[in-house]
Amino acid sequence: MRAKKLAPVMRGLSAITASVMALSIVGADIADGYRARIDDFLGTQSYVTNTDEDSARFVSDYATFEEMKAAAKDIAVREGEEGTVIMKNDNNVLPLSGKSVALFGLAAYAPYPYASGDLKAGNEDAVDLVQAFQDAGIEINQTVMDFYENGILNEHTEEVPNQWTGEIEIQTAYDNIYVTSPGDMTTYQINEIPPSEYENFGAPADWESQIDKDNTVGICVFARGAGESNTYAPGSAVNYAGEETGEDPLALSEDELAVIDAAKETCSQVVVLINSGNTMMLSDIAAGGEHEVDGIAYIGCLNDYQATGVVNVLTGQINATGALPDTYVADNASIPAVQNFGGGYYADYEVVNSDGDDSRYPGTTIENVEAGSFGGTSPTYNGGTYIVEAEGIYVGYKYYETRYYDSIANPDSGAASSAGATQSDAWNYNEEVIYDFGHGLSYLDYEQSLKSIDVDRTEDGNITAVVEITNNSDQDGRFLAQLYVQQPYTDYDKENNVEKSAVMFLNSAKVDVAAGATEEVTITIPTKYLASYDYTNAKTYILDEGDYYFTAAAGSHEAVNNILAAQGYTTADGMDAEASGDVQTWNLAEFDNTTFAISNDTEVTNVADDADLNYWTEDDTVTYLSRQDWEGTWPVNYNEVEINISDSPKSEEWIAELRGETYTIQDGDAATEGTDNGLRFDTTNIQYEQLEDIADPFWTELVGQITIDEAVGAVIHGGSQTDTLTNVDNPVVVQNEGVSGFTATYTDEETGETYRFNVHSQTLLGSSFNPELAYDWGRVEGNSGLWLQRYHLWGVGLTQRRTPYNGRNYEYISEDPMLTNRMGYGVLQGCADMGILNGPKHMGFNDQEHNRAGISVYLNEQKFRETDLRCFQGGLEDADGMAVMIAFNRIGATNASHYAPMLQTILRGEWGYTGLISTDMMNNNYYFNPESMIMAGITQVADFATNDNHINMGDGGTDATWAYISEDAVANDASLVDQARENLKYQLYTFANSAVMNVSTERVQTWWDTAISTVTYVSGALAVITLAAWIVLTVKPAKKKED
Amino acid sequence: MIKKQSVGIWFNIIVAVLTIVSVIVYSVNISGEGYFQNASVANLVAYCVIAVVMLAAVIALAQPKVTGTAAIVTEIISGLLRIAVPVLLTLCLVNLISARAEGLGFIYFSNADVLQEVQTPANMSSATGTIANMICLGAAAVFAMIAAFFTLRKKEA
Repeated sequence: MRAKKLAPVMRGLSAITASVMALSIVGADIADGYRARIDDFLGTQSYVTNTDEDSARFVSDYATFEEMKAAAKDIAVREGEEGTVIMKNDNNVLPLSGKSVALFGLAAYAPYPYASGDLKAGNEDAVDLVQAFQDAGIEINQTVMDFYENGILNEHTEEVPNQWTGEIEIQTAYDNIYVTSPGDMTTYQINEIPPSEYENFGAPADWESQIDKDNTVGICVFARGAGESNTYAPGSAVNYAGEETGEDPLALSEDELAVIDAAKETCSQVVVLINSGNTMMLSDIAAGGEHEVDGIAYIGCLNDYQATGVVNVLTGQINATGALPDTYVADNASIPAVQNFGGGYYADYEVVNSDGDDSRYPGTTIENVEAGSFGGTSPTYNGGTYIVEAEGIYVGYKYYETRYYDSIANPDSGAASSAGATQSDAWNYNEEVIYDFGHGLSYLDYEQSLKSIDVDRTEDGNITAVVEITNNSDQDGRFLAQLYVQQPYTDYDKENNVEKSAVMFLNSAKVDVAAGATEEVTITIPTKYLASYDYTNAKTYILDEGDYYFTAAAGSHEAVNNILAAQGYTTADGMDAEASGDVQTWNLAEFDNTTFAISNDTEVTNVADDADLNYWTEDDTVTYLSRQDWEGTWPVNYNEVEINISDSPKSEEWIAELRGETYTIQDGDAATEGTDNGLRFDTTNIQYEQLEDIADPFWTELVGQITIDEAVGAVIHGGSQTDTLTNVDNPVVVQNEGVSGFTATYTDEETGETYRFNVHSQTLLGSSFNPELAYDWGRVEGNSGLWLQRYHLWGVGLTQRRTPYNGRNYEYISEDPMLTNRMGYGVLQGCADMGILNGPKHMGFNDQEHNRAGISVYLNEQKFRETDLRCFQGGLEDADGMAVMIAFNRIGATNASHYAPMLQTILRGEWGYTGLISTDMMNNNYYFNPESMIMAGITQVADFATNDNHINMGDGGTDATWAYISEDAVANDASLVDQARENLKYQLYTFANSAVMNVSTERVQTWWDTAISTVTYVSGALAVITLAAWIVLTVKPAKKKED
Repeated sequence: MIKKQSVGIWFNIIVAVLTIVSVIVYSVNISGEGYFQNASVANLVAYCVIAVVMLAAVIALAQPKVTGTAAIVTEIISGLLRIAVPVLLTLCLVNLISARAEGLGFIYFSNADVLQEVQTPANMSSATGTIANMICLGAAAVFAMIAAFFTLRKKEA
């Protein structure tokens, strides 16, 4: 009877305790989401901050200076080993083992770059090619070396003013050397001393007979200079004698070919080493050339230790695994992008001039002429010139391989027409292309085969490819696997002007394989890169229905041949070689315009219609290159077409953009003045939740304290260093330069030894095709920042190499967006993992230095999204990149730093990027407009001044740079001031997540955490006990009754 | 028949009614104009429907007169369902509070300078609806816990 009464009580208690347990379990999760507010309310603390050195969030991987230095050297040597590309290797000329060498050419004894600075560390233990050969035990012909080193070069030092600071520096110099700076679209002297001059420089008359011809390999090394603000001009070569030859500066000159001929006469075999960041024209020395040599190798630009790696490859100490990051062609005139290069003036560019009517500069005459790379002296909007990137996506191999494919599979496309043909009347791939993208010979015989492909077609999905590498040789070695794909090119694409390359590089990887063995290597890449941008119809990313052909191949040409073979084509159809046909296909049954139409909760649709010249002319002024009709769409030079701004129905809007009036300061709602609410940029206020989430209210509240003066002032004067804000107390963060790493000098406290860690070579990283090496370099670069206690670096170039003529290609990776994308991913992630901000340069089509500070770059949105921006996407969206520098030029008519569609919609929105956004050098206040930059999301304008985070640095409270800007002028534009604070929020958030705030926080158990846990366990236990009791009491009396 | 039901059955009927009312209030709340329009709460309707089905099963199981082992099995099944129902309803309530806390805070506790913009009639009506929804669900959960203490059959004379 008693049991019968107790049973319902137990059941009821069980219901209550089970409900309480459920409440506490779910409630604990919810409370965790409101932890900061609960802590505030209850006065508890969920996190403690560890400030001792051992608790730092970012700790160097290296315990001693020696270890750090060794790691930097190791990376540099690996870049030489993995980046050296064997382009040609006949008659077993390579590897060099057991042979002597005779070194010819200025660069053999002074490889580019030879002067320390941004590109070269210049440490005392640097190794040049001569020493690297000697270290490897290779005998160098002394006679030739003597007259080159002592007679021709005569190394000495000179006092040279620093380009930026003007300070006098001691630099290495030579009596005769190649020209290191090509200049700005001017003539370029190829200063190679021809053999006919050797005796004039001290060579003995019988120097030729002092070479043991049968046992000597001639090594000829030729360099091309490079540099910021430099652009090669096609056909601008000047020979050693100082005569203009009309030849291309990127072709080997007659003097260089004469050196090669001399080497061929005096040595049994000849190898040419290309020491350049610019792709050269090598048909003279390639197979069938008049000066054909046995071997050609690409060695990029050599920093302090890469020569050791190069020689390790040349001597066969290590297998050659480098591959060409660009296509080498017979004549650069065959490149579609070269048809529109350099740029020219609008026919009526002067309509943009102000004769004093610009309300920002009343009474000031402002012209609209080129100002040069470093700004001008008289007022100019610098918006008079333009180029049209009419080649669309067809840059580099994407043009050559697609046209080759179409010449076989789509002959009606006009692929074999004369348009773009430079070698004969009909276009022929093998006449135009000397070495294809991805080409690189291996010493060891191997095969690569794609075993499987898996495509996860979701917003964040990946393509996963397994490549099998078989080492057919009798030596262990390292090998390169490259993954390519062909997307379907459908009637839909043709109707809507969606262009598809016949083959697209996706990613690559390297693997060590023992002699005779087979290894598998897995290559992954985000699936989103498989999609194409349709800017005319779907106005978003699309995946066409049909078969996607994936293949592993040693270069783009082998890849396209594999695909052709898989599709049933043979040499009978015009293929230039039989191919394996080894592909894996992935079929998409239905057209997909939704999977990649949303990114990071942002709708992906057209944002850059106004980047197209046709938008402004409202006419079909520009015809973009299309594989539908190679002949009819071959780009014309749009600088030879008369473009009149005043003829446009949108001329008023167009002129406003060219004047930099993207945004105009409003006289509307009053901005809120910042007041001190007691929040600070410190570890008391910034805890785990704030570090994790930029949407945490703390950040808005923190920047809400910044005064109007400082909010606007800190953004528009944000270069060189970020300064301390009055109500924020953020630390000063100094910005550092160096595409090869931090240029600052480290001094070891114990020994006094000095060292520079900028030992990297961007060119050789590109030709390494190894994203893991990119990560390793990024991590070493980040480590060096920790050692130098410098946390912010403009330290990598990711602009697409659109043409070979850009004088800054040595800072960039490749003609291919995806190779650049993956390398950028590696470098930026490596730095981010060490807490270092490494900002890549110069996002947004800064693909020529000529008139970089103002030229309008017109293009369509498919090119906008799939070329230069894609180069940066890997590092800024996929990796944790924390900074980026924006292009100098305009996108369409709009200064790239004013271009909100790129910065706000794509970078912040679609990519979810939360880092810094800097302009390039603010050298022209009539071109860079402060209010427009703020509204576009720029976090800091690079004005290269310090301690100037105020508006009122000028007379009478006005700004020193922009006299129309004052606190009063912006105080009634709440949107502008709010946006400035928003931009600074990203800056402060990024610093908090970097080594700038190098402390760690630890979660601790508060009393209310303990209380919730206790309630969970106690209620859980009670629920179980009462449940059991209820069951027992329910069953037992019934049984007794039955008994 | 109706008059013959025990207090326990009546409690369960009240719980079922409150749960159905909660779903109706919820549906009106997210379909009507205001701050919480289209702001659905994960699993809320599903859990409520399951709870109502369980309650129906509990009431149904109490109707036939069974004896012996069948009575024990029926009692165990019915009892487990009556323990599970308040747990489900509690989860619904917690989920609803979690989903609505930010919004209610925004509507009722925003800075004075934006209160006028925030406290529109539609938003206030939406907030009231959500609070009514919470009260209904809370009451249903509490009644369900109470119901678990009662037997479902009337004492035989």
